[in-house]
Amino acid sequence: MSQKPKSRGRAGTQAERGSGGEEAPSTSRGQGGAASQGGRRAEASPAPGPRSQKQLELKVAELVQFLLIKDQRKIPIRRTDILRHVVGDYKDVLPELLRRAAERLEYVFGYRLVELEPRSNTYILVNTLEPVEEDAEMRGDQGTPTTGLLMIVLGLIFMKGNSIKETEVWDFLRRLGVHPTKKHLIFGDPKKLITEDFVRQRYLEYRRIPHTDPVDYELQWGPRTSLETSKMKVLKFVAKVHNQDPKDWPAQYCEALAEEEARARPQTGGAAPTPAPSS
Amino acid sequence: MAEENDCLMGDVEKGEEPMVTITGGAYSGKQAAAGEAAAAEEPMKVEGAAGADACSDDLSCGEAGIDPSLLELVDEEKCRSIRKQYRQLIYNVQQNRDDIVNTSSESLTEALEEANVLFDAVSRTREAALDAQFLVLASDLGKEKAKQLNSDMSLFNQVAFCDFLLIFVGLNWMEDDGRDALSDCDDNIARSFWETVQKEATSWMLQAETFHFIFGSFKSEPSARKPRLEPRKKVNRMEENGDMPTKLRKLDLSSNQEATEKEVERILGLLQTYFRKYPDTPVSYFEFVIDPNSFSRTVENIFYVSFIIRDGFARIRLDQDRLPILEPININRVGEGNDSSSHGRKQGVISLSLQDWKNIVATFEISEAMISNSY
Repeated sequence: MSQKPKSRGRAGTQAERGSGGEEAPSTSRGQGGAASQGGRRAEASPAPGPRSQKQLELKVAELVQFLLIKDQRKIPIRRTDILRHVVGDYKDVLPELLRRAAERLEYVFGYRLVELEPRSNTYILVNTLEPVEEDAEMRGDQGTPTTGLLMIVLGLIFMKGNSIKETEVWDFLRRLGVHPTKKHLIFGDPKKLITEDFVRQRYLEYRRIPHTDPVDYELQWGPRTSLETSKMKVLKFVAKVHNQDPKDWPAQYCEALAEEEARARPQTGGAAPTPAPSS
Repeated sequence: MAEENDCLMGDVEKGEEPMVTITGGAYSGKQAAAGEAAAAEEPMKVEGAAGADACSDDLSCGEAGIDPSLLELVDEEKCRSIRKQYRQLIYNVQQNRDDIVNTSSESLTEALEEANVLFDAVSRTREAALDAQFLVLASDLGKEKAKQLNSDMSLFNQVAFCDFLLIFVGLNWMEDDGRDALSDCDDNIARSFWETVQKEATSWMLQAETFHFIFGSFKSEPSARKPRLEPRKKVNRMEENGDMPTKLRKLDLSSNQEATEKEVERILGLLQTYFRKYPDTPVSYFEFVIDPNSFSRTVENIFYVSFIIRDGFARIRLDQDRLPILEPININRVGEGNDSSSHGRKQGVISLSLQDWKNIVATFEISEAMISNSY
């Protein structure tokens, strides 16, 4: 039932081909779907109250749309928002709805619905498909290219021992023409972008260092970063820029390897609400 | 200090007057403290130490009766100096924070040893709190030093990283211009730099694409407005089309007869105004009717005046020069008018060609029309 997503290619057609392609997010086909879907539905049939399968399907579809649109800004989606805007009366079957919605997202879009941190009740969407070179041209303009800046900052943080002072970040970025106080051509307000937007999207953590005068802050990786990328990938990015091998930085390489091994081990009490395919 | 009190209490136990002894001891202590606090401390401590052996058994009962004011009187100066030294130490450490953390100097260890020495003299919570504050500061610095230790091993040079980024994008020729190359360079170069970095970065992240409907999200509001707008436009157009015909129709509907009557009345008014101004003076017909500027108007005037004559408000006859003149008919003579009409109606036909009109204008030297235009 759970299909291993293709390791290459983000093209939507591939994802759909791999799944029960007729499972469109729209609600026009309440009862239709693959036989597997029907089987699953039979298992989930004890829905409390007089809720028909059709109603549930409608709710799941709405939930999928809600999650997709909420994820546009990359701010984690709160459970309370889901309850308030989409689920409403169907609160008691929320886990079931979430499970089904996560399945849909995975089969149709290749997105994984994961909880940001265990018991945090916030969710994000993570791509399950590895990016491919050719897709970059097709993607076109997806807004301001903040990922580049983010990756640079993440690289800095990791290579300097998982924590870096804000002043050091600005010393570095100034050389690239990014100033905390000057308006940037592409990023607008870089300080706000790094210390507020990225933090709100949970890519970075921004903490005050005690006993500093003048006050200084430190930046660390946020929970979303650990889900969307890994230390090894960031190290490889840095290595690629340097045109060197990742092993040239032994301390960081060992750290990245350790993290890879930890991930490869089966997760205890997985963070994802869905039976995610083991990556 | 505690030992000293015990010694004093020990004296009490021995039956001597406690107040005198204690006060005496206090005063002597204070006088000594007025000088050098450290020197005063020494003899007292010695005494205390000597007395402690004697009254070590009486420690428990001695402590219960200590007057707190005693402590203040004796050691205020000392405590103040301890606090001052602590604050100085904390300030120094904070000022030299960068130096302590970044270099491999021993300054943190020295500061800790100094604090140790200070702590020996601490006996009250106020100074102990300062000591605790310093300890927190020192441990934070220690943690940072440890972190520093880690990163030194990594051999990561961020300045080199910056240069490598520029090379990676292909902007190696910028290096010669100095450090802040990207800040004052062309906008396009900056944009292409960030786009290249973006492209590389996204290949290392599993970001979910931002979801957008291809044709934009469907909002009910604009789509509801559109059908409303169209009929409105159509209605406007219809009304505009309707306006024109109605205007024309209005013009058409105004019957010629009404216009004629109005004109006749107007000209009659003009004629009567003239007659009132110059009573009993007949006006030359041609002078009245002819419009030197417009032949068509002249013809219209003749047409309207003929109505006036037909209705009997004026009379036309030939004067001695055999030129037509208009004469007023009084209202009193209305009855006679009827009689005159019953006498006989005469008809006259006036023909006027363009050439005649021009001749008359030239002959009579008519410069302006007596009948003004209504428009």
